[in-house]
Amino acid sequence: MAKTRANSKTQTGGCLCGAVRYRIEGKPHHVGNCHCTMCQKTTGSLFGSFAGFDADHVRFTKGKPKDYRSSKWAARGFCPKCGSTLTYRLVADATQIWLSLGTMDNAGAFTPDQHIFTTTMVPSLRRVKDGLPRYRAFPG
Amino acid sequence: MAATPRSKTRAATAHTGGCLCGAVRFRTTGPLGPVSHCHCTMCRKASGAPVVTFTRVGMSEFAFTKGKPKEYRSSKGGRRGFCAKCGSQLCFMYDAKPDSIGLNVGCFDEPERLKPVRHIYSETMIPWLHMDDGLPRLRNE
Repeated sequence: MAKTRANSKTQTGGCLCGAVRYRIEGKPHHVGNCHCTMCQKTTGSLFGSFAGFDADHVRFTKGKPKDYRSSKWAARGFCPKCGSTLTYRLVADATQIWLSLGTMDNAGAFTPDQHIFTTTMVPSLRRVKDGLPRYRAFPG
Repeated sequence: MAATPRSKTRAATAHTGGCLCGAVRFRTTGPLGPVSHCHCTMCRKASGAPVVTFTRVGMSEFAFTKGKPKEYRSSKGGRRGFCAKCGSQLCFMYDAKPDSIGLNVGCFDEPERLKPVRHIYSETMIPWLHMDDGLPRLRNE
């Protein structure tokens, strides 16, 4: 079941309460695990995982995330009702949008192929060898 | 002399944390409960992360020192707290355990000080997530 959905071209997702829903057509250009302290604080987890898409491949089918301007260059979107961490966008580039993997209905749909901002990766995760390349910043 | 080791202990167990924007801040002074990686689907949706790491502390040794989280009732017996301004996932409260609060480890100022000891709800762990850390994997705790 999961495998069939993972291979299909359309993925859906949304927040925990269902107030925000989205649909993705197409494949991501990047999928990664981010260990920066801002992802840690936002998710409340030890790292965040995001997939980057062309913005015209992503459509919000119900509700919209509320944006928090987390830095000069970026905004993070969350559900105002339940708080789910949904999106990451560069304010200067409206052509791209990043979606959190945990909010996808099939959370196994896209597999991260790198760790980024590993300077602040916590020691307990640093010790786990998963074979993925580790970058101190975003390699682009 | 007796005061020295005691204050040392206190410093070693005290932790601070808060949300990304700083509107909500907390402080714990007591010993923390086991640090667990939770793989349940609700934690995943709430955080957007593939796995969420939690600990627990007694309410008598915990305080919000700035602001308060907004609460969302995510299940019959539980509520999740997040910052209404920046959306950071902060805490989990069981109605049946009013004397303690679950805290998202990612919101701690020094999350590296908290050592995970187990995985819970491992039956819904994401297939691509490789965490070969030797920690026990509990199912549907």
